[in-house]
Amino acid sequence: MRRLRVGVLIVLGLLLLLVPPLGGDYYVHVFALVFTNVILAASLRPSLTCGQLNIGHSAFMSIGAYASALLAKNLAVPFEVSMLCGALVAAVVGLGIGYPSLRLRGVYFAMVTVAFVEVIRLIAQLWVPLTRGMSGLSGIPKPNLLGVTLATKASQYYLALFLMLLTLLILWKLESSRLGLIWKSIGMADNLAQSLGVNIANHKLLAFMLGCFFAGVAGAFYAHFIRFLFPPEFGFLMATNILVYNYVGGRGHFAGPIVGAAFLSLLSEPFRGSAYETIFFSIAMLLTILFLPGGLITLPGKLAELRGWKSASAHSPSPAA
Amino acid sequence: MEERIRSQSESRRVSAALLLETQGLTRHFGGLAAVNRVDLRVAEGEIVGLIGPNGAGKTTCFNLLSGFIRPTAGTIRFDGEDITRLRPHQVVKRGLVRTFQLTTLFQELTGLENVLLGLHLHSRRSLGRALFSRRRFPPDEIARSREVLEFTGLASQADQLARNLPHGHQRVLGIAMALAARPRLLLLDEPVTGMNLDESGRVMALVKTIRDRGVTVLLVEHNMKAVMGTCERIVVLNFGQTLAEGSPAEVSTNAKVIEAYLGAGLAHARG
Repeated sequence: MRRLRVGVLIVLGLLLLLVPPLGGDYYVHVFALVFTNVILAASLRPSLTCGQLNIGHSAFMSIGAYASALLAKNLAVPFEVSMLCGALVAAVVGLGIGYPSLRLRGVYFAMVTVAFVEVIRLIAQLWVPLTRGMSGLSGIPKPNLLGVTLATKASQYYLALFLMLLTLLILWKLESSRLGLIWKSIGMADNLAQSLGVNIANHKLLAFMLGCFFAGVAGAFYAHFIRFLFPPEFGFLMATNILVYNYVGGRGHFAGPIVGAAFLSLLSEPFRGSAYETIFFSIAMLLTILFLPGGLITLPGKLAELRGWKSASAHSPSPAA
Repeated sequence: MEERIRSQSESRRVSAALLLETQGLTRHFGGLAAVNRVDLRVAEGEIVGLIGPNGAGKTTCFNLLSGFIRPTAGTIRFDGEDITRLRPHQVVKRGLVRTFQLTTLFQELTGLENVLLGLHLHSRRSLGRALFSRRRFPPDEIARSREVLEFTGLASQADQLARNLPHGHQRVLGIAMALAARPRLLLLDEPVTGMNLDESGRVMALVKTIRDRGVTVLLVEHNMKAVMGTCERIVVLNFGQTLAEGSPAEVSTNAKVIEAYLGAGLAHARG
């Protein structure tokens, strides 16, 4: 089973490597954005695992994007440095907002994060001298990595793929370590976790900051890939989308947000930017809640169960039933 | 675990030092004094029962001792140190570990994982280890967790999800996790409630074994048979105050206790 899974992953990886030579610029563009969404969705997971409903993840993407873009544009900082700075700024802001608010639970914490998204959007909108406000920040340089400018979309695609894989690897290692078990324990019964000596405030904060950091990474890539930043893009809608990726994909497994983000961003591609996008995401969320509460990742199991049930009932019609 | 337990049981023989001491412990909820000027003393190596009618303040007492709520007044000293204002995870670090009423477990994790979390304080962990170690848990931590499961009779349930365990085993798993945290004083909140005679007998035997290995036990329980058969000393709370204190025999013949439990009428009838 494990071999099979590794094999599937390798084949999938090879296919992703082949997108630029085989697909056109359009697919390269779409997939690079899918990778950003995967980073965003996966980086929200630690916080969700701790039981903190964060509906403000896009704010940290925005912070990473603006920080990296401004550094590169105004100070000609190379991408690897500006991206790290963007991610670190996002993490530090995450520390500032998380330290007081992570004591709140459930809907109260969610409300703080919603408010925070709006605050960041307004700052980006109103701090015109720095961010150009509603005119949007344009002229962001292409990613300049180790002295080489990644001029083609294909090379930027590989950068996105690399960043996504690295992010997923780190998050996966953390989740499958004792740290991940602690996050799960906090989400399941925080009083019990405390009674075993877990400092839940610190662990929630760490999970939250980690998410902010990688949201900053996603934002930085996005800024240098699209090369235009517009404050409302990182609003409440995007924040809920990141959350929806997690729920539609499934909360129970690390693959959930990855599947959710890939599935939904590919499927919603025709509606991108239109009013139908919201409707699409709402319907996806509703369908999941109604028919697949465990998310898309539980679909194979559900199908197998259904098949087993059918064949079982066909072979031995139970008189008791 | 072993070494600490051994050294403790030796020190117990030398002198029964005071391990836990509260002075004037008080907690108000609005106008109600849920716990009112309680002076509780637990010596090292004892099994002490905390009993009382519903609403007497037993669980509030536990919540105060374990740092989940702060007292309105009074102090808590553990092994000579003032722990009144410590937060729950800091209290555990001192060796005062509690279990919960009902089955508070990590339901979606296996028995082994639950106990591994109990080892939290005694595990080596860092971000670097999490990122670069190939193993999820060091073998010695797994071995120690299995030891605890073995000791509590749950070895065969190590890989079951906690929520799939029968009720009795779930309660014992809660104790196993607390043991993994290496307590010096174990606070058990209704360990045998909802169990049949056979199960409760086994759990109370386990409690005695735990004590014999050097862990002091303070337990809240409604099952009088279990309490009377296990505890060496019993403290009776009523309306947040200490009503009586003494050996099981003393307490069970105390008129005030009988009155609190059965009402004044019966005490008069007996008197």
